[in-house]
Parts: sequence; C-alpha cells; structure tokens
Amino acid sequence: MKLIDALEALKEDPESQSPVLDVHLACGFTPLHLLTFLNAHLRREFPSYKVLIRTGIFGDLLGYLERLERERPAVTVAVIEWADLDPRLGIRRLGGWETRQMFDITQNVRDQATKLSDSLERISGASLVALALPTLPFPPIAFTPGWQSSSFENEVREILAYLASRLARSCNIRVISLQRLDRISPPGSRFDVKSEISTGFPYKISHADALAGLLSRIIRDPLPKKGLITDLDDTLWKGILGEVNVEGIAWDLEHHALKHGLYQMLLTSLAETGILIGVASKNDPFLVEEAFRKAKLMLPRSRIFPIEVGWGPKSTSVSKVLRAWNVGAESVIFVDDNPLELAEVKAAHAEIECLRFPRDDDEAAYQFLETLRDLFGKHLVSPEDEIRLQSIEASQVIAEASQSDGRAPEHFLQKIAGRLTLSFSKNTRDPRPLELINKTNQFNLNGKRHTEVAWRDYLNDPEVFLLLASYEDKFGPLGKIAVMAGRHKGNKFLVEHWVMSCRAFSRRIEYGCLLHVFQKFGAEAGSFDFAPTSRNTPIQGFFAELMGAAPPAGFSISRQQLFDRCPPVYLEIQEHCDE
Amino acid sequence: MNDNRGRLTRCFSAVFPELNERRIASASPKTVAAWDSIATVTLVSVIEEQFGIGVEPDAFDRLVSFSSILSYVEELTASSH
Repeated sequence: MKLIDALEALKEDPESQSPVLDVHLACGFTPLHLLTFLNAHLRREFPSYKVLIRTGIFGDLLGYLERLERERPAVTVAVIEWADLDPRLGIRRLGGWETRQMFDITQNVRDQATKLSDSLERISGASLVALALPTLPFPPIAFTPGWQSSSFENEVREILAYLASRLARSCNIRVISLQRLDRISPPGSRFDVKSEISTGFPYKISHADALAGLLSRIIRDPLPKKGLITDLDDTLWKGILGEVNVEGIAWDLEHHALKHGLYQMLLTSLAETGILIGVASKNDPFLVEEAFRKAKLMLPRSRIFPIEVGWGPKSTSVSKVLRAWNVGAESVIFVDDNPLELAEVKAAHAEIECLRFPRDDDEAAYQFLETLRDLFGKHLVSPEDEIRLQSIEASQVIAEASQSDGRAPEHFLQKIAGRLTLSFSKNTRDPRPLELINKTNQFNLNGKRHTEVAWRDYLNDPEVFLLLASYEDKFGPLGKIAVMAGRHKGNKFLVEHWVMSCRAFSRRIEYGCLLHVFQKFGAEAGSFDFAPTSRNTPIQGFFAELMGAAPPAGFSISRQQLFDRCPPVYLEIQEHCDE
Repeated sequence: MNDNRGRLTRCFSAVFPELNERRIASASPKTVAAWDSIATVTLVSVIEEQFGIGVEPDAFDRLVSFSSILSYVEELTASSH
C-alpha cells in the first residue's frame, strides 16, 4: 500500500452505527506514517468497524504501557525499537558508544526488557496485545566490523529472544514473525535516517506499511482451515502405485522424492494440531491399504480419516470425505498434482480451495509447505484439537451403531454413558468459546460472529452469561463442544448465541444444556435470538421438534413446552464451578 | 505541467480531505487550519512518494502553499529529466 492510498482509505467514513475497534498504539517514536498505515490496514481487516487508534507520549513507551494497564483497552499494539531499551541504542540521543558503556547498556536493556515484558503481560489480562520487537538495524556501537557479530550485540539480542519467547507463550499476546517481516521488508531498507533526525519517525514508508500490515493481520487472526484432502500418486508419494506397486513408491532423498516426504511430515504436524487429513485418490483400494500397511510413510495411517479410493470422479470422493467430517467445503483445502483433477473438484465444490502439488519444482514445493502452514496455522493448540480426529471417528461409530441397532436411538444412548459438564465461568482467556462461535455453521442459533475484541466486550457485560459444555462417553472425550451465551434477568433469559460442534450431534446434548439453563435460572420462559441461515438446518430441526413447527425468527419457549416435548435425556449432567 | 498539478492536488486532497479542489489551489498554512507540522511532514512524504523525488529538510521553509510546492516539484522533476 502506498502512503497516498492509506490516506485516501481513511477518508471513507464507516457508518456511524458501526462498532468501534479501540486500539492503542504504543511506541517510543513519533508514530506518524505507522499510525496512518495501521489505521488503513485495520480498516481493511475489520471493514464493519470504526477503527479508533490512540497514541501515547513520544519517547515514553514504558510510561504509556503502564497507563494502559489501568485503561484496559481492547487492543494494544506495542512496537519496541532499540532506543526504547536504552536511548544509547538510538541515534537521537548522544549518550556515548564507548566500549566501557556496553556492560551498562546490556544491564539497562535487561532491566527495561523485564519491565516491558511485565507490563505487557499485565495489559494482556484484559487486552489483546500485538507486539513487534526491534525491526531496525542494530547500531554500529560494538568495536567489531559490521560483517562480524559482536558478543555485545548477541547478548542484547539474547535478552530480546528470551522476551519474545516468554511473551509468545501468553494466550493474549501475539508476537510478529521477524522472519516474515524480513521477506516483505528487506532489513537493509528499513531505517530512514533523514526522517528519524528531522521528525523522530525512523521508518521508510515501505517498512511502515509492511509492519502495519503484519500487525493488523495478527490482530485479525484469520480462521484457519479445518481439513486437507490429499491425492496420493505423485503427491503424497512419488510414483503411480498401480504401476510401480508398494515397493516402487518413494518420498526420500535417495529416490529424488524428498518433497513428498516433507509434505508428509507437514501433514503429520497439521494432524497433531487438530487439522483433519483425508485422502481422495483414483487407485486400487487394496493396494492403497497395503501401501499404508507396508511402506513406512512419514504420515501414519492412523492420522488419516477417511481414505476414499476408487475409480470414480475425484469430486465424488471429496464429497464423501466432507460428509464424514461434516464440515463445509469452504474450510477445506484439496491438494493434487493434476490440474485436471483440481479443476474437476473445483467445478463440483466451488468453495473448496484447490492447490496444485508442485511435484517437479523443489523451490515451489518448499513455498507450498509455507502456504499450507499459513492456511492452517493457529495461535494455540487446544485439547479439543488433539482429540478431534478421534472424536470424529467415534461419532461415525456411534452413528453406524445407532442405525444398526433395532431399538435405536434410545437403547444406544442409554448404553454410551454420556457425561455433560457445564461451566458458567466467563473466562476471557479461554479461546475455545469464541472459536466455536466463529467456526460452527450447522448447529448455530443465528450465524452471528464476533471478533476477539467484541467478544471480550460482550462478556464484560454483567448481564451476560456464558455456558460452556464439555462432553465424554465410553468412546472417549469430545472436549468443549457447545457454547450458549445470552442475558439473564429475573426468571427469564435470552439466548443470543448457541452453537454446538457437529461432532456432538445425536447425543441430546442440546436438550441437556437447555434443561440445565432453565433449572439454573429458575426460568419460566426463555427467548432465542434465532435467525435461519443457509447452513443452520440442524438447529432449525431441533427447534421444529421442540415447538412442533418451523421456528420463526426470534421466539420464546416456556419451561412447560420444553418439558412436554423433550425426549429422554440419558446424560449425567454436572455443573463445574471454577470461578 | 497539468499532470503535475493534478497529482499534487491528489496529494493535498489525501492529506487535507476536507478541502475541495478550489480551496486546494489557494491552500497555505494560513488558510488551512489542519496544516500543522505533522501535516507538512505527511504532505512532503506523499509528494516524495508520488513524484519519486527527495525533499531536503532545508526546503521545508519554501513549501508554504500549494503554488510554491507546485513550483518546487516542477523544478525538481524538470532537473531530473
């Protein structure tokens, strides 16, 4: 983005009723164009918000952060440069660069880094923090020539590395990747000495743009994709299984097939973080099973579900995988080396993102791995991520068993020993409720989404209640699978959000939650901010069952109505008190 | 020349969005309340970016109106061709 484009973007006034995104930009230098670019990028990332950015006093980063600890803003953007750690590491103060000062500078950097780190952690208790550590070149202080790294510089960088590692562990602090910044803003072209001297703004315009872009993206935190469906031949491995048999396929250096091994390694890593990995391949099913059994792939068979292999169109196999996962095509990536197959799948599933595996280009293959990491990357790995595949497989077992049992579903539900644990704690540090609200489409009251900022504000309203449901049965735990949020007053309540993971369907968990809410609030009636969407058919069906007719937008039900129409619930329900 | 005027008008409009084209032509720190030191720095940066020129800090004193800036820009762009 050019500066003029950023300024022109700021001329467009958002609608006056738009919610405000309250951002505090904390930096020790005059924010000038960084402020302009940050504002423009945030508007692009949050088009339905009115972005309001405040700044502190020039030269007092720590003082401003300490003030923010009391103000508790929704979003804090902290940009630390060398001079914030010790003014002698900048060029605007003539504090001296003698060798004898280096020990003192190091000590000062250590003290200041600790104070900044402590303050940022305190701010993160109520605020989302986006953090950039020094991006400018280290000044020529040490006695070593520029091509040689000095112990002084390394010691200072070590302090910063420790600070980054400590803060990146916090769930509300996100540290920008300096490696990614290096790629989009070459380190040698960042420092604007003339501007630093004349105005106190140290960045070249292109660097201010790149940094603001990354900070905005880290605040927006786009939702990761949920699943990847891969082809096998010349994609997961090198070779056509039907032609070369199990012994002939390869994925290692020796067989000039390393890129396939790296791809397998990345898929295993993605699977570990809860990303679903499925296979859609035109192949002989027997041979494929043999390949997974005999060949010691980097991606084990247990990490893949389902494997759809046959000679029909790939799009049919993809449909079967999507059905087994119960996720929408828009949350899924399809990978194949053959452009024709990619086009065929895209024609049948317009929303799926199709990526070609670059089997003949090592450079492109490496970039491809980076692209996949970006598409599936997440800030934290939750316990639910770790058990996702297991619970989807269990759900299929339950669905199949339930259908094959002549007395289903009553008999089956009685046997599975379902336990529902409900928590009413409004813990803003737990990302799971918002993740469920933003990712769930099918059992979703109205399809309304929240940004982290808006969600935090919502929960801070004392009238708002939050129910988070966890479930387990004899097939294993499903983790935190449902969220209900709304307002409670007297003997009435209003549900504004209600979502449940599709992994938890068919267990009457929704009835269990509703019964408990009526009981907990001693309510005679409950209202629902319901709105039909193109995807929320399951919740529409639930309400239709409860009310005996298709639900209108926004409605109430009485306790009696619920009791009259509620089927038997075989769950052991416990309320977990952790406030 | 007309092209320079048009491009400079766009720069002014981006920095001072409240000004219409007529007011931009007669703009100076005296006629535009928002024209403070920050606005000067922003305006100079936008002009540098748009015209691909470098404005020395010493020249800031000359850049006191739309017309003086237009003359300065034309001098610089002419000498660079």
